[in-house]
Amino acid sequence: MGSGLSGGGVADAVIAADLQGRVLLWNSQAESVFGYSAAESIGRSLKDLLLAGERDSEPPLTDAPCVYEALRRRKDGGLLYVNVSRTVSLENSDGARQVLYSKRDVTHLKVARDAKLVETRFGALLESTPDATLIVNAMGRIVLANSQAARAFAYDPNELIGQPVEVLLPERFRTSHVGHRSLFSQQPRTRTMGEGLELFGRRRDGYEFPVEISLSPLSTDEGTMVMSAVRDITDRKKAEQKFRGLLESAPDAMVIVARNGRIALVNSQLERLFGYPREELLGQSVDCLVPARYRGHHERHRTGFFSQPRARAMGAGLELYGQRRDGSEFPVEISLSPLETEEGLFVSGAIRDATERRRFEQTLQDASRLKSEFLATMSHELRTPLNGIIGFSEFLIDEKAGALNARQKEYLTDVLASGRHLLRLINDVLDLSKIEAGRMDIVAERFDLASAVDEVCGVVSPIARSKSISLVRHVSEEVAQVILDRHRFVQILYNLLSNAIKFTNTAGEVNLSLDREGDMLRLQVRDTGIGISPENLQKLFLEFQQLDSGTGRRHDGTGLGLVLTKRLAELQHGSVRVESEVGKGSVFTVQLPLVAAPG
Amino acid sequence: MGTTGTTILVIDDNPVNLKLASEVLLADGFTVIGAEDAEQALRLLETLMPDLVLTDIALPRMDGLALTRWLKADPRYSHLPVVALTASAMKGDEARVLEAGCDAYIAKPIDTRTLSAQIMRLIRVRPATT
Repeated sequence: MGSGLSGGGVADAVIAADLQGRVLLWNSQAESVFGYSAAESIGRSLKDLLLAGERDSEPPLTDAPCVYEALRRRKDGGLLYVNVSRTVSLENSDGARQVLYSKRDVTHLKVARDAKLVETRFGALLESTPDATLIVNAMGRIVLANSQAARAFAYDPNELIGQPVEVLLPERFRTSHVGHRSLFSQQPRTRTMGEGLELFGRRRDGYEFPVEISLSPLSTDEGTMVMSAVRDITDRKKAEQKFRGLLESAPDAMVIVARNGRIALVNSQLERLFGYPREELLGQSVDCLVPARYRGHHERHRTGFFSQPRARAMGAGLELYGQRRDGSEFPVEISLSPLETEEGLFVSGAIRDATERRRFEQTLQDASRLKSEFLATMSHELRTPLNGIIGFSEFLIDEKAGALNARQKEYLTDVLASGRHLLRLINDVLDLSKIEAGRMDIVAERFDLASAVDEVCGVVSPIARSKSISLVRHVSEEVAQVILDRHRFVQILYNLLSNAIKFTNTAGEVNLSLDREGDMLRLQVRDTGIGISPENLQKLFLEFQQLDSGTGRRHDGTGLGLVLTKRLAELQHGSVRVESEVGKGSVFTVQLPLVAAPG
Repeated sequence: MGTTGTTILVIDDNPVNLKLASEVLLADGFTVIGAEDAEQALRLLETLMPDLVLTDIALPRMDGLALTRWLKADPRYSHLPVVALTASAMKGDEARVLEAGCDAYIAKPIDTRTLSAQIMRLIRVRPATT
């Protein structure tokens, strides 16, 4: 502080005011120091013009001249520290008195003082923190920067001292920052700067980088200062960017939701699907995407999800709906995954418009039902003429309408066999279509297994005998009686036994056993037949896949028997499995509950 | 078989099937009267009394089940055994047939070799006493 400049020198801003503080005189130096022209200052209150904060350090007005330092505000909002010498004049001719101020900008001196103070008190401490840390004094000047900060912003540590903190900001933010800064200084508390905003730092070379800043007020002998810890979040932003990219590349609409139900992130697929622009969704409750009538449940489920986070489909087995911005609803499928982040647990939801799928499924169902109805009707209609074909063939073969010669009898026997084959085919198709249409009723009744076995063996034994195949059967005492659909059981047994006999060569053996296995009935048909190759085993239970036996011979059958057997077993909560070896034979095992489950 | 003098009223709207059932029963010694629908059967029943009625279920207008109900509700005919010819031996059909009052059912296609025996069994179990 050079003595030549003290007290009313030309470099000083000179201001005169009346006792109420209204400006009477404003010299050109005052204009340049404070930014207000004389014209706009004269007549206004000094307090309005220059007071920086809620407190003023100006001493009470007395007749005695005094010198003090104070914080003042420039027209542009910037703060400066001034040395003031104040004199109250004598009454002038009107009897009024004036207060005469001579003010000099001593901001740089104040900065030097503050810097010295904080360097002594906090310098070593701040060097040891990992974050770039700055201390900024009441005028917004940097008074301490640790080397991490200097490095982050590409300055020498000493270069930063005394600079307005705004040098570390991109230019476009500087003006508004001055305003924010004075707001903070009025209500200082520890907080994160600009929550929800994207903040940027600016290096000396002009390079910008994303930052996160936390602010803490520091009370010192030189007034309140602000300590800010600046974290370069370039890496995190990059990771976020990658994540966003990932979200954008997903085929589904994606939404990331915080524990409190607020939407943190969406992709553009979601914007399109729900008809919301992104800005409208971010921060909103995710419930806005759910039709109103489900919102209560949705909140409970969400809380449930966060208490047991794991990837899963939402509302498995339920029909879920989304609601667009225009209020319209559409069916959706949603899968949920927990998402661990630095900011806590989130849930990511992938949402797919299921309109097409549900329509498709409905069409398929309708088509399947129509097909089944058609088949059922057709089967019925086809059987009526077969009654005549089969009946009259039998009638003629039995020579009830007169004697036949050998050829006539042979050919009529062929007609009869063909008619019966066609009838079996129609019956199997009808049964399959009934099962597929869900109209095959299982009527469980208690019956003796032995009697059902007798009934089936009565039909197949003659065929076995004609091929000299021995048909061995064993019914365990433990399964003397069962509660099952007798008709369907007989069908299954007939299919397996007639197959076994059909594919077993002369003088082979077919073995039937019925045992108990836990609470299941195990029906096993073992033959010494031609066997089934591994590739054919896979086709075994497909419709109309009568297998090539390898001998070039087609076997008399519908190609539906095993499919039907499997479906009939499954319908009664049972199963069918097969083991086979080519040339050795096959083992078909059916498991059925001893007591059929109702309906 | 002891069928001589036993009269069966056969009702089937399909002429071939009607002919088949009639021929089979005739060959086994039954007396057979044929009708192509329920109305014709009811008219015939005004003038003659068979020992058993063998009716198809799917008849035009009045079906076999309605005919059975009609007969069972009329004291003149309620004693008559009625056997239904069902298109499929499905459980549901059986229940419907018995519910309508039929005494038995025979699944189509008929077995020409056992039809007469099945019918005789029914007549013996339930003699047509007046």
